[in-house]
Amino acid sequence: MFKLLFPLIQVVSFFLLVAYVYCKSPAYRLRRSELPGPGQKLALFVFFTLISVGGTYLGVKVQGAIANARAIGPVLAGLIGGPVLGTGVGLLSGLHRYSFGGFTALACSISTTLEGLVGGLVGLYLQRSTLQDRALSPLTAGLTMLAAEILQMLIILAVARPFADAWALVRVIGIPMILANSCGAALFMSILRDRRDIYDLAGDASTARTLRIAERTLDLLGKGFSREVAPRLATIIQEETDVGAVAITDRERVLAFTGLGSEHHRPGTPIMSEATRKAIATGEVVFLDGVKEPYHCTLDEGCPLGSALVVPLLVGHDVIGTIKLYEKASKRFLSINRTLGEGLANLLASQLARAHYQDQKELLVLAELKLAHAQINPHFLFNSLATIQSIMRRDEGRARALLDNLADFFRMNLKRNPELSTLQEELAHVNAYLEIEKARYQDQLSVVIDVDPRLLAFRLPTFTLQPLVENAIKHGVAEMLEPGTVGIHAYLAGSAVHIDVEDDGGSFKASPRGDGLGMSIVDRRVRNLLQDCPGLTVHCEPDRLTRVSLVIPCAAAPAGAA
Amino acid sequence: MMRAVVVDNELNAREGLETLLAERGDIAVVGSCANAIQALRTIRAVRPEILFVDIHMPKVDGFQLVAMIEPELMPCVVFVTAHEEHALKAFDENAVDYLLKPVQAGRLERTIGKIRHYLGEGGKPVYLSPAIERIPCVCAQGTKLVNAEDVEAVCSGETGVHLLTAQGEFLTELTLTLLEAKVPRMVRCHKQYLVNLSHVDVIGRVDPAAVQLRTRSGFQVPVTRRYLAGLKERLGI
Repeated sequence: MFKLLFPLIQVVSFFLLVAYVYCKSPAYRLRRSELPGPGQKLALFVFFTLISVGGTYLGVKVQGAIANARAIGPVLAGLIGGPVLGTGVGLLSGLHRYSFGGFTALACSISTTLEGLVGGLVGLYLQRSTLQDRALSPLTAGLTMLAAEILQMLIILAVARPFADAWALVRVIGIPMILANSCGAALFMSILRDRRDIYDLAGDASTARTLRIAERTLDLLGKGFSREVAPRLATIIQEETDVGAVAITDRERVLAFTGLGSEHHRPGTPIMSEATRKAIATGEVVFLDGVKEPYHCTLDEGCPLGSALVVPLLVGHDVIGTIKLYEKASKRFLSINRTLGEGLANLLASQLARAHYQDQKELLVLAELKLAHAQINPHFLFNSLATIQSIMRRDEGRARALLDNLADFFRMNLKRNPELSTLQEELAHVNAYLEIEKARYQDQLSVVIDVDPRLLAFRLPTFTLQPLVENAIKHGVAEMLEPGTVGIHAYLAGSAVHIDVEDDGGSFKASPRGDGLGMSIVDRRVRNLLQDCPGLTVHCEPDRLTRVSLVIPCAAAPAGAA
Repeated sequence: MMRAVVVDNELNAREGLETLLAERGDIAVVGSCANAIQALRTIRAVRPEILFVDIHMPKVDGFQLVAMIEPELMPCVVFVTAHEEHALKAFDENAVDYLLKPVQAGRLERTIGKIRHYLGEGGKPVYLSPAIERIPCVCAQGTKLVNAEDVEAVCSGETGVHLLTAQGEFLTELTLTLLEAKVPRMVRCHKQYLVNLSHVDVIGRVDPAAVQLRTRSGFQVPVTRRYLAGLKERLGI
């Protein structure tokens, strides 16, 4: 019996060597998180069939049969790749064994196929249960193999004839084969699994590093990309990646540099490296691997740095700067650091984009708050109340109507959609406002409204029109000795919607004291909310005319515009 | 019965105050003006004792209006405003008083009381009014405002007081004396002429008895001996 055990152990040891070589090869790519795909299954099929066929060849001839390690292939194939793969390997290998002949030929080919099926069913069961990890455990492989080999012996006894020969054979090969193959399968699986774990761990480590950098930089980048933030960012990246040096630049200057060569790479100096300028110009990663393309420091001959990775920081479509990782000339630039560097730049860019978006949003909210504040301008309220009070003495009905207008105006301020309104809604808001102003200025103020009715459903940022009209009155008509006119015009010209608000005071000043706030907010809002909208333009002919124009290209109109 | 002029560019505010004044019965509103230009004419014509004037008005504000009133015509000035911060400035200008819009009868009562007391003691209102910035002129379209610093010289003739500027000559209703007092660097050089020191180009003697100035735009301005020394001193020559 032991005469057989040692040759079998030899065969199994050879298989283990093959397994070790196999999992070093690029063909092996088992990952905990991935099930094998069709390509991988084919590779597994070929590999395990070869193992299995090899097991037949390397077997030991005993009493007209072969003591062998053939079953390891199908069983492991089944455990890893499922019943189809296991049965396939077993069938092919069984047919191959059948071609050798001998009184166990049929029994062996049937049993090999069935062993593959057993391996496959166990694998399938474990994959589908919560015990996924067990499918690839050495213990499972050993036990499955044990069961499969016992099954094989039973099949030999059941199928091979004469039975006496079969019984004699099983008595000799049974225990050595069962033991050697079970241990072999367990060790084989252990090799495969260890290799997989190494892959997974490597992946885990770089993922963990990226996550740690992300966590450490998130708060920092919330403050935007600046000279204050950059040095801390560079330090974090260098600590986590352990490369020779890290630099961060904006489009023109080095913002931070830490690590080797920091005595001559000074923050605040203009970008000297050709590679960096190229990365900024093209928005693409530039890699100087130090072998084919060495990095030469332009600042200092004795600079120890020999390779560099320059990753542009893209926010939207704009390169706002670069992150540079350097390695010294005597050290190889690890490809894991290269991947990490690129991933990092993506991460930082998206954090920056988020910060940028946050800025924009805050600006908008601020603008809205100020705008709302301007609407409920206490001076306007006082003036309106004074007007209504004096009208009340002469004409109670008119005063009551004006109070209604005032209430309407304030109610509309509160209830409006803060983003977009139709031109019609804007005009209603302006009309409520104008009713009060007309009562205040009486025949001093006349208003001409000329709006193309097709544009009534056109959408524009809420609170666009009223501040412009208010300006035209406050800085235009109210500054005139003679009666004045405010004109509101909306028309289509070319492929753009034109909205003009004009007065015949012609007293526009480029920076009106404080009160111009309303107009600059309107300008910012139309630019923010309507893409490609050039904002407000002002045309002023002194003492004759001030015209504030808003031109909205139709393509820029927000969705739903008429 | 005291006579008052009310100046406010808002009709409602004006009417409101006028109604309050009429209800009192001791003040006659003899003028109601929508702007400073009208107000100047009215004040000259009716010579009121009290002037209620809005601070914020088009082109010429309340402070400027007071600066343009000749000292001998100066009424007691009460500034009326909707803005508290303007009111504080009004107090700095040592106006008799100020009122916040909308004007309340009780507050008005106190103001009238103050004025009555002031005039009863024989007070003659004098205000530290600011320099005149823009001078109202009569033109075909109505009123034109000429920047005081653009005026090269002022000439008083039979047709009135003319401002001489690079853009031409403009007739103003302000007097020579007032302009001399209230326009910076405007200096008397002749009984009928003022010259702006910033615009003096050439100073020369036409004959032993007469000195003449030429301004940047070429206006010839005579200088009489009486004013020559003072003029030279101001010019630093």
